[in-house]
Amino acid sequence: MPEMNTSAADSSFEAVDEVDEAALAEVMRTVPLGAGVLAGGAVALLVLGYLAIYLLIFLPRGVVG
Amino acid sequence: MSDAHHPAHERRILGTELLWAFGVGVLVAVLLGMVLFTALTQNINPPSNVERIDPKNLHLSGEFAEQNLGTVVAADGSVTTRIIATQFVFAPHCVAVPQGRPVTLRLASPDVIHGILITGTNVNTMVVPGFVAQVHAQFTRADELLMPCHEYCGLGHSEMWATVQVLDAAAFKPDAEGRVTCAQR
Repeated sequence: MPEMNTSAADSSFEAVDEVDEAALAEVMRTVPLGAGVLAGGAVALLVLGYLAIYLLIFLPRGVVG
Repeated sequence: MSDAHHPAHERRILGTELLWAFGVGVLVAVLLGMVLFTALTQNINPPSNVERIDPKNLHLSGEFAEQNLGTVVAADGSVTTRIIATQFVFAPHCVAVPQGRPVTLRLASPDVIHGILITGTNVNTMVVPGFVAQVHAQFTRADELLMPCHEYCGLGHSEMWATVQVLDAAAFKPDAEGRVTCAQR
């Protein structure tokens, strides 16, 4: 019975890992910045939420200890 | 790809990670600093008090005997409120506290673990039999606040609640013995 399907397992292991140095440099210039902006934005929102609850709700509710 | 192949990229990633670590370090220091600042300047802390009491006879004599429950103003002007939390009531059912003055809440349980919070305030503690739960608080606005048991204590748990009347200076009048009871409204 002839094999009609193809599989990634059929490809050669000896394929050369071709890296375009210029493209890689371009990606590495922007990717960390995007990750930083995304993570920084998420953390900033979290901290703003914490500060809003701490300063606008917790402290006005009065001293406790 | 060898490690030496892209040193510039790796330096940039390392720089980004160090910058992120520095930013997070600053953030943690600022948040801890805020907590420390309010703890030292305004005395805002998690309530903590390790003081033992015998749960078998706490209602018979001593601090939590019936005649000592409720709010009392001492000769030095300090206000202390004593409450027993028991299945499934608070005794007394209503306590009066002054607005804008430090109040010491002291609670004890003769049976099982209870807990209290006072709505709209930061007062929140567990009441464990064998220990006196103590919370220092200051109530900022005159109001009638609900104080439910917030630790499941049995079938009547949902019916276990009390009222805290925060009275302004004109309404907060101690009697000859320094006791203050809830104003009838």
